[in-house]
Amino acid sequence: MAAPILQVKDLKTQFFTDDGVVKAVNGVSFDLYPGETLGIVGESGCGKSVTALSILRLVQEPGRIVNGQILFKGDDLLELSNEEMRELRGKDIAMIFQDPLSSLNPVLKVGFQVEEAMFAHDRVNKKNALSRAIELLKQVRIPAASSRVKDYPHQFSGGMRQRVMIAMGLANKPSILIADEPTTALDVTVQAQILELLRDLNRDTRTAIIMITHNMGVVAGLCQRVIVMYAGQIVEEGPVHQIFHNPQHPYTWSLLRSIPRLDSDRHDRLLSIEGLPPDLISPPRGCKFNPRCQFRIDRCLREDPPLLDVGPDQRAACWVTMDRALKHKEPAVGG
Amino acid sequence: MADRVPLVRVENAVKYFPAGLGASVKAVDGVSFEIYTGETLGLVGESGCGKSTLGRLITQLHPATSGNIFFEGIDLTKLSGEKLRQHRRQLQMIFQDPYSSLNPRMTVGDIIAEPLENFGMLRGKAKDKRVQELLKVVGLNPYFNNRYPHEFSGGQRQRIGIARALALRPKLIVCDEPISALDVSIQAQILNLMQDLRNEFNLTYLFVAHDLSVVRHISDRVAVMYLGKIVEIADSVEIYRNPRHPYTKALLSSIPIPDPDIQAQRRVVSLAGEIPSPVNPPSGCRFHTRCPIARAPGICSETEPPLEEKGREHRAACHFSAEVPAAV
Repeated sequence: MAAPILQVKDLKTQFFTDDGVVKAVNGVSFDLYPGETLGIVGESGCGKSVTALSILRLVQEPGRIVNGQILFKGDDLLELSNEEMRELRGKDIAMIFQDPLSSLNPVLKVGFQVEEAMFAHDRVNKKNALSRAIELLKQVRIPAASSRVKDYPHQFSGGMRQRVMIAMGLANKPSILIADEPTTALDVTVQAQILELLRDLNRDTRTAIIMITHNMGVVAGLCQRVIVMYAGQIVEEGPVHQIFHNPQHPYTWSLLRSIPRLDSDRHDRLLSIEGLPPDLISPPRGCKFNPRCQFRIDRCLREDPPLLDVGPDQRAACWVTMDRALKHKEPAVGG
Repeated sequence: MADRVPLVRVENAVKYFPAGLGASVKAVDGVSFEIYTGETLGLVGESGCGKSTLGRLITQLHPATSGNIFFEGIDLTKLSGEKLRQHRRQLQMIFQDPYSSLNPRMTVGDIIAEPLENFGMLRGKAKDKRVQELLKVVGLNPYFNNRYPHEFSGGQRQRIGIARALALRPKLIVCDEPISALDVSIQAQILNLMQDLRNEFNLTYLFVAHDLSVVRHISDRVAVMYLGKIVEIADSVEIYRNPRHPYTKALLSSIPIPDPDIQAQRRVVSLAGEIPSPVNPPSGCRFHTRCPIARAPGICSETEPPLEEKGREHRAACHFSAEVPAAV
């Protein structure tokens, strides 16, 4: 395998609020390889979006990256000047967000906004920029692209706006595209179109994609590798096939059994994860998942487990792991 | 399973909202179906298809523009004032947003007791006892009755909304996207609770949601809406195995299944274009502008297909339903 294009090492991002320090990202490390699709899944507040924002150094006050390295092609992004960072954002690493409407300027034509993304990094002349903008809109499959460049965002539907955002993201041929819940605000049939587009773009342009989502189905359809986050930490990571078919962390295992599947005819009770995600100002001692875990042992209350190898390319942060847990205990479905 | 007595019968319900200059949004445009006693009927569709409006027509939160809504044989659209109010206690609602649907200045106890007071049901100690009992039923600590909504998480608030809906011992609960604002691990808690309550109190649910996997999980039958019309209605196993409307087929194929091997084999039926405006819906079959098998111009753009039997207890509104391939 080639060298990683992005290496995140022991990233810690904290928010200094009046109520205390929120440890939103608490020691996250992972690698991203050229051209791969990596999913980061978890529930609200697990730190997946803050991880993405930290990579681009877009974390806002009172948030601060307090520890770690983010190596992009070997350079630590946390060491770059603001000027150098601005040069890199949108050029080498681009990002798209959940709500395409609030990400677009309502009073500027869509074509201009795509061109603007190019002008920010390249000396392109106006005429070339326009034809490149049209080409990009075609690439993201916006019908009648050459006339639609002159339209304003409100003249586009939600799905089309997200396509425009993707076009802007691709304007400078970045090597990484970070997509933060890009389909959450969209209807399912539109979501399917956007996912197909991302899949094709990844195949054709070899842009690596980090897909941040709460939807396990989206990960299953798009990603090669997946990271599961809980309470600011990675609890499990591995190839998508392993994570879905042989999850070793009880959180991953439970999450997969708590979602209704379209292809299941049974109306059986879903497995329910009792309780709530922890407060990140004063998280529980030991494993952060232990208060909700039905497989916990005494050690889980005292020591925070590190990520350990549990299978081919698969690592989980659990003292028990599911293979062993299921040998000893019939899992409870819960109320 | 449901015994086959219709609790609700909707006949040709229509709801238009004025959209200025004499135009109107045809949110619900001629819909007929039944909800049987003891069943859960799922109502799915994408944003703007009219599913929430239809739920609100049944509880009479919106008056219908035309058509009839029978509840236990009585036409609610013909009632008003006190008579309607007395019937309405049998019909309750659970809302999507557990934040805006609870008054932040009322204690949880007062929120749950409000319906009891509105109908002069219980007073004093008996009322307090009933409130505590309801809190227990939805899995909350009965001594939380003096707390305020902001002290609870989203999932707990949704439980409070459910307790309020149960207070008057209704027969039907219209659940409008009851879990879509909640986190994944909390959704299962609420779905399980709703299933338990249905069994315990012999409830009938109309479960309105956009997520077909959730709807299929909880429902006995599923109705699919598109642009103000029901395009298909069938048993929840049947509708997945054997969809007879191309829109249902497209919707099914679009929903990601959390299994990479299955996802790799599935093929999404892509729909052309966008959902047309409900102010000016397409002629003939409303789906013909996006349908992969439409004959347009032709019968599909000229004649509106009726919702008709395509199998046992299976109705679909498509001229060419035999051509819809079975689901993967």
